[in-house]
Amino acid sequence: MALLLATPALLLLLIIYGWPLLRYGWLSFHANSVLTGLVPIPNGGANWVRLAMDERFWQDIVQTSRFALVSVGLELLLALAIALLLDQRWRWRGGVRALTLLPWALPTTVMALGWRWIFNTPYGPIEQVITSLGGQPLNLLSSPQWTWLATVFADVWKTTPFIALILLAGLQTIPGDLYEAFRLEGGNASQALRRITLPLLLPYILLSLLFRLAQAFGVFDLIQVLTGGGPAGSTESIALYAYLNAMRFLDFGYSATVMLGGFLLLTIAVGVAAVGLRTVGTIRGEAR
Amino acid sequence: MKRRLTWWLSLLTLALVATTSLAWSAMSHVEQVTVLMPAPFAESTSALVEQFNRDHRGRIHLDVTSGPRDTEAMSDLAISSLLLGDPPYDALLIDVTWLPKYAAAGWLEPLDSYFGPDEEATLIKGARQGNRYDSRLYRWPFNADVGLLYWRTDLMDAPPQTPTELLAISQQLIDAKVVDTGFVWQGRQYEGLSCDALEIIRGFGGRWIETDGTPALSSDAVNRAVTWMAELIRSGVSPRAVTNYAETESLQAFKAGDAALMRNWPYAWAELQKDDSAVRGQIGITTMVAEPGESPVSTLGSWGLSILRGSDHPQATVQAIRYLTDASAQKQRFLIQGYTPTAEALYADPELLAVAPHLPQLAQALELATPRPPTPLYAQISDVLQRQLSGVLTGDQSSVDGLERAQTTTSTILQSAGGD
Repeated sequence: MALLLATPALLLLLIIYGWPLLRYGWLSFHANSVLTGLVPIPNGGANWVRLAMDERFWQDIVQTSRFALVSVGLELLLALAIALLLDQRWRWRGGVRALTLLPWALPTTVMALGWRWIFNTPYGPIEQVITSLGGQPLNLLSSPQWTWLATVFADVWKTTPFIALILLAGLQTIPGDLYEAFRLEGGNASQALRRITLPLLLPYILLSLLFRLAQAFGVFDLIQVLTGGGPAGSTESIALYAYLNAMRFLDFGYSATVMLGGFLLLTIAVGVAAVGLRTVGTIRGEAR
Repeated sequence: MKRRLTWWLSLLTLALVATTSLAWSAMSHVEQVTVLMPAPFAESTSALVEQFNRDHRGRIHLDVTSGPRDTEAMSDLAISSLLLGDPPYDALLIDVTWLPKYAAAGWLEPLDSYFGPDEEATLIKGARQGNRYDSRLYRWPFNADVGLLYWRTDLMDAPPQTPTELLAISQQLIDAKVVDTGFVWQGRQYEGLSCDALEIIRGFGGRWIETDGTPALSSDAVNRAVTWMAELIRSGVSPRAVTNYAETESLQAFKAGDAALMRNWPYAWAELQKDDSAVRGQIGITTMVAEPGESPVSTLGSWGLSILRGSDHPQATVQAIRYLTDASAQKQRFLIQGYTPTAEALYADPELLAVAPHLPQLAQALELATPRPPTPLYAQISDVLQRQLSGVLTGDQSSVDGLERAQTTTSTILQSAGGD
């Protein structure tokens, strides 16, 4: 009976997730590009061999992971601080809560255009301040070593509110009596944070990590508008590479392979992380 | 009395029936032609479209759909609609570099049976290029467009002709603190970088792709060209930020009077003559520098109209294309929006010359127009070049290494085309 009731939802999921994945899997074993006149021709595993040998794909995997891990890590820390602050009772809390959400409400493209202007050399405000103080221009968007940090910065600015919101919701589910009892037992504030807040917040932290990591690994619009993948391809993400292959190069077979390759690697990484977390959790549980 | 009323009534009915059936038959014969263009082009044709629809009332109704402003976004929209099959458009305004790809994908209708050689002969040389693939005509030019070197007439007597002169003049002006920077161009990792690089590579006597279709990026001439580009930045003649400049950023710097020279497209001229321009009336145009003995070239830009395969109204669409691109339409577009004409005759038009004294130089640059490699794989090979050049310009890798990589990757890409 339960299965029967769940069937419509499962069917919907199958259509939305299953079908594209199957279709991509099928495409990845075909040559389907402008050279074949956009007709799919089976080519064995040629696309996958090409992917394994494609330096650019592996470079993009590294770059995308770097971007995702660093930006989501920073977002989590910042969001936790913001959520704790917004959970306190103070005078303008309502207004500040609304303000904090503003970056999240802006469309990414608009936000990325804004950052492109802010990071602009020499007319952007950051460079204006630096040069007026007698400093050398930073050329933040022209450095293969550092430009990725600009993309991280923009992403942190934009999506921290999202995590903060989830964590704030989590904080409000923790009953106040717990803290009161803890205080009566002689616990101080930092102990309360470690012993009560964080453990009870853990499901919310994991939830927001899941959402954000999946989103950050698929980052596209921010990069496309802010840097276009440059300089020297140093900010290109997997999604951008797959997009270029499909929409610019009209090579759909390889684009599907890139996308699936990235998906498989991400799934493996998440699986390893989940097993790892569980193991750590069990060990700690036994130690206690 | 009654008889009279009946008479009137029947007459009225007759008239009604006649007009409705007339209108009906007219309606059913109206051919609906839809053309997709990037927003600025669509805006520039709106008056003409109204005029066309008045002139062709009851026969053709032309509808110009305004697409995105950005070239790449426009390409995404066009390709998405084409991939779905049976696109809602009869014609597309396409960029010169898309043509081989679209034609190879089988999306375009050949136009040879509509536009003859005599009609093509009325076009200026730069506009005659980039319309064919596999020797068939697939596109009728809407505007002409080439890369230009803008120079400040208040700062120099004549523009630099050679790479060495360009460095010397800029250095001198920077040292004298007349300008902040010498030469601004498009160094961001995007299509503009390929356009600039093509002009500089050819100016040094190098080739991107040989006429036989093989890449030639590891030649000594190309290496000298790219070394010179890196030298522009290293010496401070171009700001380091130029490695993140597209057309807009270059124009911004030049318009503010911060730079002595700028590489850009013809549209910049009108921008530089506006009231808020610091260099208004103090600019000249020429072509990119070239080493002594080498002919300078201008990268061919330009948009043109192509009919999509499967259009139900090719004849009517051709009529619309002719209307939108005839000499008087071009004249209007040049005077109002500054789009460069394609008809050779207009470059000697006294009315145009009176308001645009730079027309002869523009015509000269169009004579030197060079298309980017016309292969369906252009987007790939351009992407490779941009990536490697960006690496060289931002100081990540040496010119020799970058070009070697570009050469190898480009060969692989082009061989895959030959091998299939």
